[in-house]
Amino acid sequence: MMLASLLIPLLPLPLGGDTKPGPTPNLLAIRVGKAETIAKGTIEHAVILVENGKIVTIGEDLPIERGIPVLDRPSWVVMPGLVNAYSRIGLDSEGGDDSAAEVKASAELYAQAKDFQEIVKYGVTTLGLYPAGNGVPGQACAVRPLGKTKEEMLLADACYLKIIARASPSAKKLIQDGFKKADEYAEKEKKAREKFDKDKKGKKEDKKEEKKEEPKPAPGAAQEPAAAEDPKPEEKKDDGFVPPEPEPKAKPWVDLRAGRLRGLVSINSAAEFLHYVDAIGKETFSWDVRLVVQRESDVFYVLDKKTYDLDFDGIGDKKCRVVMEPVLSVTPGTMRNRNLAMELAKAGAKIVFIPRNDTLMDAKAWLANVGEIVGANLDRSIALRAVTLEPAELLGVEKRVGSLEKGKDANLIFFSGDPLEPTSKLEAVMLDGRFVHGEVKL
Amino acid sequence: MISKRNNIESLVASFALVFVTIPATAFAWQDAGGDEKKDESAEKKKEEPDKWFVVKNAEIHTGTGAVLRDAMLVAKNGKIDDIGHDLEIPPDAKVLDAQGMRVYPGLVAISSSGLLGPTTSDFGDTVNPFNSNMILGLATGITTTGSGNAAVKLKRFSIKDLVVREKIFAVFSWSARNPSGKRSLREKFVSAAAYLREFRDWEDKVKKDKELKEPQKKNVDTTVLAVLKGETTAKFNANDRDDLLGIAHLAQEFGFRPVIEGCVEGWTVADELGRAGAMAIVTARDRRPKDEALVRDGGSSIENAAILHRSGVAVAVVSGTESVDLGGIVGRDIMALPIEADFAIRGGLPEDAALASITTTSARILGVQHRVGSLEVGKDCDLIVVDKDLLHYEAFVQWTVVDGKIVYDKQKELYFAHIRPRPDAPAEPKKLDKGETEPKPDADKPKEGPEEGGKKGDGEKKNGDGEKKGGDEEKKGG
Repeated sequence: MMLASLLIPLLPLPLGGDTKPGPTPNLLAIRVGKAETIAKGTIEHAVILVENGKIVTIGEDLPIERGIPVLDRPSWVVMPGLVNAYSRIGLDSEGGDDSAAEVKASAELYAQAKDFQEIVKYGVTTLGLYPAGNGVPGQACAVRPLGKTKEEMLLADACYLKIIARASPSAKKLIQDGFKKADEYAEKEKKAREKFDKDKKGKKEDKKEEKKEEPKPAPGAAQEPAAAEDPKPEEKKDDGFVPPEPEPKAKPWVDLRAGRLRGLVSINSAAEFLHYVDAIGKETFSWDVRLVVQRESDVFYVLDKKTYDLDFDGIGDKKCRVVMEPVLSVTPGTMRNRNLAMELAKAGAKIVFIPRNDTLMDAKAWLANVGEIVGANLDRSIALRAVTLEPAELLGVEKRVGSLEKGKDANLIFFSGDPLEPTSKLEAVMLDGRFVHGEVKL
Repeated sequence: MISKRNNIESLVASFALVFVTIPATAFAWQDAGGDEKKDESAEKKKEEPDKWFVVKNAEIHTGTGAVLRDAMLVAKNGKIDDIGHDLEIPPDAKVLDAQGMRVYPGLVAISSSGLLGPTTSDFGDTVNPFNSNMILGLATGITTTGSGNAAVKLKRFSIKDLVVREKIFAVFSWSARNPSGKRSLREKFVSAAAYLREFRDWEDKVKKDKELKEPQKKNVDTTVLAVLKGETTAKFNANDRDDLLGIAHLAQEFGFRPVIEGCVEGWTVADELGRAGAMAIVTARDRRPKDEALVRDGGSSIENAAILHRSGVAVAVVSGTESVDLGGIVGRDIMALPIEADFAIRGGLPEDAALASITTTSARILGVQHRVGSLEVGKDCDLIVVDKDLLHYEAFVQWTVVDGKIVYDKQKELYFAHIRPRPDAPAEPKKLDKGETEPKPDADKPKEGPEEGGKKGDGEKKNGDGEKKGGDEEKKGG
């Protein structure tokens, strides 16, 4: 009895259960057969050093200092934790029909939701949660699925503004109305600016520096017409001017224009894309596409301008991201398969894959489904990027997650073989340097 | 050296100062802005060169009666620029070689549903220019369709400038089943006509006497007034002889040209309808039994379109059902539009009138004849290239062109590509020399005698062109 009690603390790791692994040492070296780094290709015989939840270094056959605990799995393949940028896992409320661009999905976040604990077991270590609803339902947030509080979970907020594009006057008006609000704000800001300049001028005149100040208002006046169109240069001028706070309803649209927020435009068909492009007109802001892949999708018509001699830029020409399910579609009216993801990638779009359905079941089959698309000739590196770094970039958290690089969060998932092979098993999941799933014995 | 450099620097600085102060005066700024704008627009014009489209080696049926053999059609920016022989092909033109094919104006369907996708009246915000029904409509040869109360073009892949005309018709009801409705409509016409007379009178007199009061518009139906002024077209949906007669009389009395949809028993009162200047929208295969309780003529007739036409009624033909329908009774949907015109021919309608019934006449009824319906210089370049006589049941539309842009190519769409696939190269000219296929076209068109003179010359050219082609092909073969 005495012996046993003495031995237990000496063990580096207590015997982990099937799903609940024990504590992971703060400093850990991992040696695996292969690492899909995403950012810098594949590394054979990779060694990753993890400390305090971050990747300290990664490389081929790096020497490991004596004393550092080592996880040695020469048959395993490691890749960054999966990033699902477009999900409502763990959220449940229904949205309204109204345009509510100011709504944030983070407000719905409940840290104790069971689904978060479950989704991690399938290798998903970052989630982009979007608000429910029609029209312009609001802004998405990026979360790590495990955390005791909402704040602990939240990686980033206001990641993208979801816009549902439809071929209807009301849907198009919703977008135009949004930018009208931004117009109103720009007008307001311009007036505030004028007042500010006037006050400033007045003050300086008081100081009796009239002669020197004379040329100054001139460039200011010259810049004003430009400033009215684009609020950006004004902010850069560090002269103490604080632009007025936009109204909550107007803020997302002002942010879109200023480049502080991205749009994610949901479309089902080519026509909806065309009508969206028509609705935004000459408005320039950065946006990506959420393509709901239907069986007889006709989106191949709007891949690029050239093929069908379109009078507008296609999805590929815009070089935007396309958030889509890893499914094959067919040419309408036929049984001929089409790999839209591959066609989009060829046209210049960046692919972001999400599970086929927003359920735990499909999260489990996610990589296998992506594998099918790779089997249908999508480039493998694009496919792997489409579940890691590309969605991370969409969420604006690419500096923390999405690839295996020095300084990034140690979100690692380990497979018994090629991650895209359905026969490969997900052996372990590490989130922020801690094993959260899988039986791992050092 | 150093001092020199300093001098230069100071010079530059002073120049820069001058430069900065110039825009300070508002006047100078505005001027500069104006210039910039001008420059921009000039640049834009330069950026967008004229878009040329040419159909060559075609037998062009202009839809106005003329048929040009081995002719060319040149379109500039979507409008027909020239039609004729030996025209100059602009260097950047997109050329469609229609060797051995016939070119017709794009068909105008008076009404259809589904070709534009699930639309409401906001066409620019709802049309789906990618939907498969539109492809099938274009495969039928339809380039303009009535939809709701508007005429809309089938512009594939685009939602720009779709609508040719809106608010075309004022729809009235005239039915024996609703006598009070008839009475009240007539009263509306009476009061509107009275007002119009007074108004015209006042218009004349007010030039002399400026204080004269304008007649009161009270109790005048604005829609009816618009019809009498010729601003809109009165449309009736009527089939019974009595109703048709009533409409004809109403039109004759008040002096407007009614459009009558249905018009099944029109053949029984065709002379009256003709006298009223009526325009009829008929379906040649409409079937309706005669009411045996009545002694007079009645029921449907295959000769309806022909008799109406002979009596001076402008006849447009529509298909039995308005949508693309691949089930039910085959061959009655919108894709059978030319077939429906064939049935009118079967009833005795001359071929040129049958072609007009789905092109020029239907365009006239929709009030868009200034833009579509026939191939004339200045009109929209909406045309179809057909491998046979358009009204032949075996004919296939090979290409459809809307606004000078090919929007349908039979071989590129999956629907009919496999049926009698088009040979990649145009018909071989050598065969023509041997006289194998030469008699055929002549036998096909015995009617077009007046063109004989021009034809000979053209024929020679054709051979010349053909030889050239043959040479090209040989090269390819080698």
